[in-house]
Amino acid sequence: MMIKKNLLLWISAALVYLFLYLPLVIVVVFSFNDSRLNAEWVGFTWKWYGKLLHNREMLGAAMNSLIIATVSAGAATILGTLAGMAMSQNRLRFLPLLVLAPIAMPEILMGVSLLLLFIMVNMTLGLLSIMLAHITFCIGFVALSVQARMSSMDPALVEAARDLGASPWRCFREITLPLLMPGILAGGLMAFTLSIDDFVITFFTAGVGSSTLPLQIYSMVKIAVTPEVNAVSTLLMLLTLVVIVGASRLSPAIFRGE
Amino acid sequence: MKSLLGLLLLLLATPVFAGEELHVFNWNDYMSEEVVAGFEKSCNCKVVQDYYSGTEEMMAKLLAGASGYDLVVPTQNAVQALIQQGFLEKLDKGTLSNIKNQDPGFLNRSYDPGNVYSLPYAYTTTLIGFNEQRLKEQGIEPTSWAVIFDPQILEKIKGKVTVMDDADEVFGAALKYLGYSVNDADEKHLLEAQQVIMKAKPYWAAFNSSSYIKELTVGNIWVAHGYSSDMVQARNDAREAKRDFTVNFILPKEGAVLALDNMVIPKDAKNKKLALQFIDFLMDGKNAAGLSNDVGAGNPNAAALPFINPELKQLAAIFPDQEVLATLETLEATSAKIRRLKNKLWTEIKLK
Amino acid sequence: MQRKAWYKYLLSLPPMAYLLIFFAAPTFLMLFATFRYAGEYGGLAPWYLQEGGRLTMDLTLENWQRLVESDIYLRLFLKSIGYAVATTLICMIMGYPLALMIARSGRKHRDLLLLLVILPFWSNFLVRIYAWMIIFSPVGALTRMLNGLLDLIGAAPVTLMYSPTAMLVCLVYVHLPFMVLPLYANLEKHDFDLLDAAQDLGAGKWRRFWLITWPLSLPGITAGSILVFIPVLGMFAIPDLLGGTNGIMIGNVIKQQFMESRDWPFGSVLSMVLTVTAVAVVLLGSRLGARREGR
Repeated sequence: MMIKKNLLLWISAALVYLFLYLPLVIVVVFSFNDSRLNAEWVGFTWKWYGKLLHNREMLGAAMNSLIIATVSAGAATILGTLAGMAMSQNRLRFLPLLVLAPIAMPEILMGVSLLLLFIMVNMTLGLLSIMLAHITFCIGFVALSVQARMSSMDPALVEAARDLGASPWRCFREITLPLLMPGILAGGLMAFTLSIDDFVITFFTAGVGSSTLPLQIYSMVKIAVTPEVNAVSTLLMLLTLVVIVGASRLSPAIFRGE
Repeated sequence: MKSLLGLLLLLLATPVFAGEELHVFNWNDYMSEEVVAGFEKSCNCKVVQDYYSGTEEMMAKLLAGASGYDLVVPTQNAVQALIQQGFLEKLDKGTLSNIKNQDPGFLNRSYDPGNVYSLPYAYTTTLIGFNEQRLKEQGIEPTSWAVIFDPQILEKIKGKVTVMDDADEVFGAALKYLGYSVNDADEKHLLEAQQVIMKAKPYWAAFNSSSYIKELTVGNIWVAHGYSSDMVQARNDAREAKRDFTVNFILPKEGAVLALDNMVIPKDAKNKKLALQFIDFLMDGKNAAGLSNDVGAGNPNAAALPFINPELKQLAAIFPDQEVLATLETLEATSAKIRRLKNKLWTEIKLK
Repeated sequence: MQRKAWYKYLLSLPPMAYLLIFFAAPTFLMLFATFRYAGEYGGLAPWYLQEGGRLTMDLTLENWQRLVESDIYLRLFLKSIGYAVATTLICMIMGYPLALMIARSGRKHRDLLLLLVILPFWSNFLVRIYAWMIIFSPVGALTRMLNGLLDLIGAAPVTLMYSPTAMLVCLVYVHLPFMVLPLYANLEKHDFDLLDAAQDLGAGKWRRFWLITWPLSLPGITAGSILVFIPVLGMFAIPDLLGGTNGIMIGNVIKQQFMESRDWPFGSVLSMVLTVTAVAVVLLGSRLGARREGR
């Protein structure tokens, strides 16, 4: 903890944050812009938020997106963590391939092939089929993140605990899991992000009336993406931020791997 | 965590609406919200719309068997393909009292002789939208496809032109420019069209099918190849934003692509009766007019004309007269071989 | 060591089963599709012919032949790989200091800083790209400012919109968190005592970085590079929206096969090649990473 603050490091990191937030500022600012065009600043207004409140379709789609992202990220985090832990053991040759290939596969192909599968087993397309598809492409991201963390974890810790007579489960719960937590958390966040933003795979696996926010937004592309979309994006970011910060306040231990 | 899961399950299980639902699969922004609200009121049902932005998207989903839609609005070449696949339900015309309103000029077309499976919904043309003032300053009078294909003209507006990101439409325009039919499948003619496109490409800013309305309205782009309904939108937007220029559009004198969109009912639709009811409702003159007034599409419904905004009605590019109509062609369903050839030529164009 | 093995295998069972059902099975459906004919109106033609009650297979190699017929697909692949490599490198250069800074800041702020990296990505993809299009727009403030500066030094004005630069900026923007997050997860657990010890022994700042931090962070870099490289390789939305007339990548052509020319078998062929390329690159990369790490 005694590392001196490195000025150069801080400046370059700040610049990267600037890069990340420059477009975001535009998204948020334009949600208050009094022009349907989303092109230049005209004047301040709340009206897009007002309009949004009455836009059943958009709010329903946002709700669908949140449900899907939460469930898929949750399931993918559990499965991906298991895969990541198993992968750090080199003996398994097949698993890394199975985990990496979904990341490597073009989204369209995955969408189409999952569609074929769902049709083959006669499954009704809807929220469930979207979730199953999202979990599929999220597992790899979590697994890689966990594996990266795991691969340089000191195996001596676990071995020592086992030698001292701790059960595998206790070892996992009290040593491995806390140590892995930052990797799991990073993977889970990625999964959530990927799920909430996915368009291509969702398009193919969505059924009647299970529109998600990206589907809704893409349907507006042709005419104009109105500031309502900026407004719903702003609210969504705010909501997720509040939920996550709130959760980390409530149980800091889980989030910090302490 | 358990309670959260319970909450989610509850949300999933709660039906949003208890009454009947009509599931519609339509092009983006291709329905008047007011008309939908009117129908929901009259039938005490709910219209649930899903949208697509390209024929292939729609076909991919429908043909894979993932339906559940009661009413679909495909373009004519897709109708032809869907009929040949045996995918569509024959329309029970006895229940359609407003069928008399349809303009006979749009009925009984080659893709569905006798309109057994489909009824026309709306039409658009693919044309050229442009920034009136900027082109005038350059001394360009757009009347022909030359404005997007002739290097001599393009020289003056380099980097200010976009064409659609759609092989059929761009090849269609180039074929028309060369004096051929948009459905010309002769390899020699297609190669000629490819040459025309290749020569013009260095002057274009982009292939753009999604944001040209905005780019025109903002003034970033001066000439855009796109759908007539979009150009109406761009013109209105520019006016609303009080620009120092106006957006206008013309149908090139060589002719252009006409897209005729239709209402069809899939065989596996769950609510065919309600779908027929909706079709009949949409064919009512006043309701049909809502589509033109709100979306800027052309209208195949004769009874709608009195209700359509007169300014819109007099635009030849939106409501072409018989003479202009004769220069317009609809895209036909193409064979797999031609599609492959076109795709390869298109990939070569883009890679160059 | 014997006792460890069984539960590691047990661990791998649930994800393995899941991926076999929802990934491997559909992939085999598509692999099979590469040998089938395209349906006349889209989708796939039946893979068997029925003649007088006898079933015969109706499969073909022509889809694979088309791949090698001309060099355009090879050129497309090379171009896409070029974009993917460039994006990965830029993400690494930008992401490393950020991840390092987060890893070295106080525990209290770390979660927040990390969250800030990913927050922009909960807005919609299209909305973010549109925001960039506003920034790049010729009438936009940034472009005008830049061209004003260029004008001062007598240089010709530039167009940002629809240029490879715009494409690259957005590719980096969209994929940056996928570099930062795994890198952070790795850097976070580095033992600061090592650095302190090195400092006590008189090693300079850069020397400490190159000798300790960098080699230790290689697994994180590998993971991050994989997560950036692969999605970029198959990307089509950004080239579609910002690429102008030349910004085409292999992803666009794959999309065309499924969405425009209704040629699923050939689309599957291109996808399979892309998937295999990507997996090969990744396995190679992680092997190199593992070797260095095991040095």
